[in-house]
Amino acid sequence: MRNVIFLAINVIRDSFRKKIFYVVFIFGLAMLALSPLLPSFELGLQAQFLRDVSISLTSLFGAVLAVIVAVGQLPVEIEKKTIYNILSKPVSRLQYFAGKFLGVVSTLAIILLVMGIEIIILIYLRLKVFSPIVFEGVLMVFLESCIIASFCYLMTTFASIPVGVLAAIFFYVLCHVKTGYLHGKLIEGVSGAWRVLTWSLYYIIPNLENYNISQQVGYGHGVPGGYTVRVLLYALLFVGLFIFIGYAVFRRKDL
Amino acid sequence: MASAVSLENIRKTYKSHMLRIKRTAIENLSLDVRENEIFGLLGPNGAGKTTTLKIILGLVAPNSGTGHVLGKPLGSKSARSRIGFLPEQPYFYGFMTAEKALMFYGHLAGLDANTIRKRSEELLNLVGLPQGSHLTLEKYSKGMLQRFGIAQALLNDPDLIIMDEPSSGLDPVGQKEIRDIIISLKDLGKTVFLSSHQLSEVESVCDSVSIINRGTTVRQGYLDDLLEVKGVSLITFAGANERAAEALVPPAKRVREENGRISVEVDSEKIYEIISMGRDLGFELQSVTPFRKSLEDLFIEIVRGEKI
Ligand SMILES: Nc1ncnc2c1ncn2[C@@H]1O[C@H](COP(=O)(O)OP(=O)(O)OP(=O)(O)O)[C@@H](O)[C@H]1O
Ligand SMILES: [Mg+2]
Repeated sequence: MRNVIFLAINVIRDSFRKKIFYVVFIFGLAMLALSPLLPSFELGLQAQFLRDVSISLTSLFGAVLAVIVAVGQLPVEIEKKTIYNILSKPVSRLQYFAGKFLGVVSTLAIILLVMGIEIIILIYLRLKVFSPIVFEGVLMVFLESCIIASFCYLMTTFASIPVGVLAAIFFYVLCHVKTGYLHGKLIEGVSGAWRVLTWSLYYIIPNLENYNISQQVGYGHGVPGGYTVRVLLYALLFVGLFIFIGYAVFRRKDL
Repeated sequence: MASAVSLENIRKTYKSHMLRIKRTAIENLSLDVRENEIFGLLGPNGAGKTTTLKIILGLVAPNSGTGHVLGKPLGSKSARSRIGFLPEQPYFYGFMTAEKALMFYGHLAGLDANTIRKRSEELLNLVGLPQGSHLTLEKYSKGMLQRFGIAQALLNDPDLIIMDEPSSGLDPVGQKEIRDIIISLKDLGKTVFLSSHQLSEVESVCDSVSIINRGTTVRQGYLDDLLEVKGVSLITFAGANERAAEALVPPAKRVREENGRISVEVDSEKIYEIISMGRDLGFELQSVTPFRKSLEDLFIEIVRGEKI
């Protein structure tokens, strides 16, 4: 466990040194700060709109960061050969693989937490409305970015950085759009082999729309606790699956 | 003496990424490194030296063959806690200073902070890097990185030190320093396994060597045995020049002039004959030694011979 933690801390330190990290971060905040208000005089509606927009933006921001951070681990360490000095120490491949991923997830958690606090402050400064409900939305964004990050991390156990990034974009779009589409197909009623395929795809592909609660955050009532627990377990399931497969590949990889 | 590393009939093929063509990097490689010796793995570029070292450390898994390192299976984690490794062209996290990086690697090696601080000071001294420098590793020159790599490999006070081309990137003074470090490690009772194509370095530090070419062992043994040419001696004379000395061939095999001295290569049974011929010509006898070819001669002979 010691080794896992040292490796994770190192990932966090390394991530916060990357310029691209801050570029994305500042870009997201600037968009939020500059987003126009609705031409409405009603304070409640304006707050609703700002919360909704900020969570949607955070979601996009979380996805981009998840890809950047996850992809920047294994292939970079292998290419730069920094991995040799680590795996030649008494560090197992499992510790390495887990430590790096823990670092990725912690990095995302830290940056999203900061993001959440800044959103609350920004909304307060503009409208004098205090919205702690934003954290609920940020938590969902975090869970979604964990799924995306674990998928990326899995991809990079065998693919290069560009391939990993492309696959992640494809995955993101698929998980957001395709699930709705497949569901539609199922309701419409397709038959035979297609039906089996559609059903399996429907269940295999994680439904990232589950984590889109910007509207509920906008309204200010959020989602019920039971829902949060359910989507949390759902995220754990997919992260666990991707990491498991990723480790199975990484364990036997020639470095 | 017990063996620190042994490999038996190792075979390793790499899959080329896209085309799935298999490239054989190592074929039927066996070697045995005894405890407390300095062992050199020699071979031309692409011979499979780095691959061999990676197999010992478990960075790469062999397709077949067996072996052990420090009494444990190849790549075992507990063996690694007693091994120090210097990779080929080592690279470290660029954003760290030497001390920070040593702290990080020391933690991974299972050491506590106090021990690491103490060891860091000793080791930076040993490899000739400054203490407490604010320079981050990305600003290090190639030779400095190589020195840092050696410090990093010695952090855990390993019993076996594996070095992939330890003196690459170092100037002649640096190379000499590294040579001295390697020899001092042996004096401390440690085993050193190095790969190199710096033949003079190998010749001056190694006890035994294994020469590999295209993934297969071509020759191995004690360096003295490999370089000695049985039945041939070397006689040196002073007070002669090459032209005059030509008169000795035959029965001598070859004469050469070096710094005003004449060396004569001769079949051992003809030693007395040559000495008396030399005396008659007015040469001054200096020494008679068993003839030893240089490692370079041996290496080139082997690698060329293989290629034909
Ligand atoms: N990851 C890899 N994938 C595919 N082929 C590889 C890989 N690593 C090494 N090889 C091939 O295996 C062979 C042996 O390589 P290796 O790096 O072990 O040689 P080497 O003796 O260390 O050479 P050098 O003296 O140049 O360092 C080479 O033909 C090389 O192309
Ligand atoms: Mg090599």
